[in-house]
Amino acid sequence: MTTSDQLLRVRGVAKRFGPVVALRSVDLAVAAGEIHALVGANGAGKSTLVKILSGVLRPDAGTIEVAGRPVRFRSPAHARTSGLAPVFQDPAFVPDLTVAENLRLTGTDPAAFRRRLDELAPGGVEFGEVAGVLPLPLLRMLDLARVLAHDPALLLLDEITAALPTDYADRVFAAIRNARAEGRSVLFISHRLLEVQEVCDRVTVLRDGRNVDTLRTADSSERHIVAAMLGERAAQAAVDPRRVAPPPRAWAGEPALEVHGLVDGHKLRDVSFTLTSGEVLGITSLEGQGQDELFAILAGDRRATGGEIIAGGRRLAARHPHQAIRNGLALVPSDRWEALLPQRPVRENLAIAHYNSPGRWGWINAERERRQVADAIQRLEIDTRAQAQAKRLSGGNQQKLTIGRWLVGGFTTLLCFDPTRGIDVGTKHQIYDLFRELAGAGKSVLMFTSELREIPLACDRVLVLYDGRVVAELPAAEAGEAALLSAAHGLADTLAEAERQ
Amino acid sequence: MSVLATAARPIGPTASRLARRHAWTVAVTAFFAVLLVWNASQTRNFGAFEIQTMLASTLALAYLAMAQSVVVIGGGIDLSVGALLVLANCLSARFMEHAGLGTALLVAVACLAVTSALGAFTGLIVTVSRIPAIIVTLATSFAWGGMALLVLHTPGGGAPAGFQALVLGSGNAWWPALLCLLAPLLLIWAPLRRSRAGIGVYALGSSDNAAYLSGVNPLRTRIVAYTFGGLLCGLAGLATTAFTGGGSPQSTIAMNATLNSVAAIVLGGVALSGGVGGLVGPVIAVWCLYLIPNIMLGLGVDPSYGEVVKGVVVVLVVLVGGLLRARRNRSA
Repeated sequence: MTTSDQLLRVRGVAKRFGPVVALRSVDLAVAAGEIHALVGANGAGKSTLVKILSGVLRPDAGTIEVAGRPVRFRSPAHARTSGLAPVFQDPAFVPDLTVAENLRLTGTDPAAFRRRLDELAPGGVEFGEVAGVLPLPLLRMLDLARVLAHDPALLLLDEITAALPTDYADRVFAAIRNARAEGRSVLFISHRLLEVQEVCDRVTVLRDGRNVDTLRTADSSERHIVAAMLGERAAQAAVDPRRVAPPPRAWAGEPALEVHGLVDGHKLRDVSFTLTSGEVLGITSLEGQGQDELFAILAGDRRATGGEIIAGGRRLAARHPHQAIRNGLALVPSDRWEALLPQRPVRENLAIAHYNSPGRWGWINAERERRQVADAIQRLEIDTRAQAQAKRLSGGNQQKLTIGRWLVGGFTTLLCFDPTRGIDVGTKHQIYDLFRELAGAGKSVLMFTSELREIPLACDRVLVLYDGRVVAELPAAEAGEAALLSAAHGLADTLAEAERQ
Repeated sequence: MSVLATAARPIGPTASRLARRHAWTVAVTAFFAVLLVWNASQTRNFGAFEIQTMLASTLALAYLAMAQSVVVIGGGIDLSVGALLVLANCLSARFMEHAGLGTALLVAVACLAVTSALGAFTGLIVTVSRIPAIIVTLATSFAWGGMALLVLHTPGGGAPAGFQALVLGSGNAWWPALLCLLAPLLLIWAPLRRSRAGIGVYALGSSDNAAYLSGVNPLRTRIVAYTFGGLLCGLAGLATTAFTGGGSPQSTIAMNATLNSVAAIVLGGVALSGGVGGLVGPVIAVWCLYLIPNIMLGLGVDPSYGEVVKGVVVVLVVLVGGLLRARRNRSA
């Protein structure tokens, strides 16, 4: 391929934030009409690179060429006029403005926008609606449609499929392929290697702020890519779950958490299950089947309209998260910003739950705190280079903080909502291992996940929610993707039938 | 075909959505109507004269509430609005004294130019220095207050009667004050609100990150908001000159006016977190805050209780409004 075919050429781009080096030196070339994936573990520098390419950040060193011409972006608006248009995980729609006003803000032609949106969200949207009341998946579609309406030469998609329902993700892929057919290039950032294999032509792997490899997806296995990202162990795990999955075992522990006939309006219709100590119980479902309400109720953040929760043998009617925590139920929310103290140091973020139970006279035992925090940092292998402020850690390390907090604070049942969302494979495996270890020590874990492939890796048993009810319960070892998916789509009857035959 | 069909769909907001978006303004207007009827029932022969009195005595604070609204909607706050009012008041009172109507109008235009420029300067400092707006405007409030003292050492100055009548009307003529109030709303705010710059002000206050990614220039947008705020502060100063027939450089006036402007925007449905609200709600809120002590007086209660009731009303309204908003968000 000659230089003139390259739409985007990045050479030696570097960026540091104070003492933290985010990008050491990255070279990247994206051809015209190519879907190019960018993968890498958390902290490898993907987000920084995208921010530089979209004009949000300025590089310390290196050059960027678009269609052979060197460019220096002053602002996102400038990058956009050069043909580079980003869609971020958090949509760039202003929440208090209507859709129409958001379009005027970017000078988008409403007709072109609507044409693009018809492909992405056939239900459409009222232009007079305030953006803040629209659901996140739809907002991402609006964002993508708006970017496409501006005829960009290169689309930058940063984790656009994270937490997106399958039907939306499929439409995104169709739109990406369309864009390629129209001669546009796409830089596609994702943790989901399956998508990368399916959609992308080539993939560049980042590790520790450097590009370590560029592969053609057609000639390289998923394992090959993972190996480039990390090391051998994780590569094996991704290929053969059984090699790191726990051996199936019978659990005869005491019930740690019992839920009987839990009802919450029409969101939760009737949910019952028992979680024994020493067990990791998975829950999965499509978007909006009552899982958010279930976790909020268990964590004391929402009140059920009916049913019963028994934690550690005692009936629990928590009116406040404080009461749930005192009864051993600790929540790790899906959005880590709900849990983190972004401005405060790592140590305080880990110790915060521990402040609930200070010593006598309300004194905090600094020595004990330091010991427990150090222990959590070591157990979770938290990277403490940027420990002065939690907001400066990478996403995976932030997630470790939200879990590590309860290792310090103490719990009997950990409620984790999508604990591995948007984090890299290596960290995911550390979290699975931690859950197994906790279960081995007699704790229990209730874990919601939208990623079916992690169920056999982390869980003993899995429940499937559909329309506010538990429609299936399977041992994790037998929970194939096909079985889980059909149950999650409300096809439990056909599932049971299929098993009988 | 489907493209044509969808493109033909009306894109304007429906009536119910409009009502939902402006629910707060509607509620404040209803509250004002109740207070007005109550106050009217207390007064024999309530009529044009009482309306003129209300409009004339609230004109300055109404402008000031609008100034504060624009800045707060844009995600900032301006503690110097009162001081800027006092500065414009002193400048105009000093140079209008013994002047004819023509000269007085020239002085008025010059005052507006000065306060607009000072507003723009404030916006520049807030954006470039990245010092929080509350600190910058606290500092500028001292500076403007000091400048007012330099212009007019003691209360004094004056304004031609023609100017006073032009701004406030007199006797039963209540429409001049209302026209003066509506002029900046209709001539500047209405077109601005629909322009990209005005939408940018809302965008910046609602989510500065999303606004930046959408191509909003934070510097230019903040300068637009603070400049318009400065202009409105200048109008407030001129209204004060017309109403009192002179100028007074006292800092207590500035402080009181600033705090009242914050109370009015909160009551008028402008979210202190930015991005939400308009300019009409705060103006009606100013009228409500004017009527409450009047009604207390009519009830024969010590007027000092009027101030207490004002405070209670602000807290209660915001509390109830917040609860209703929270409930609506939960049900949505």
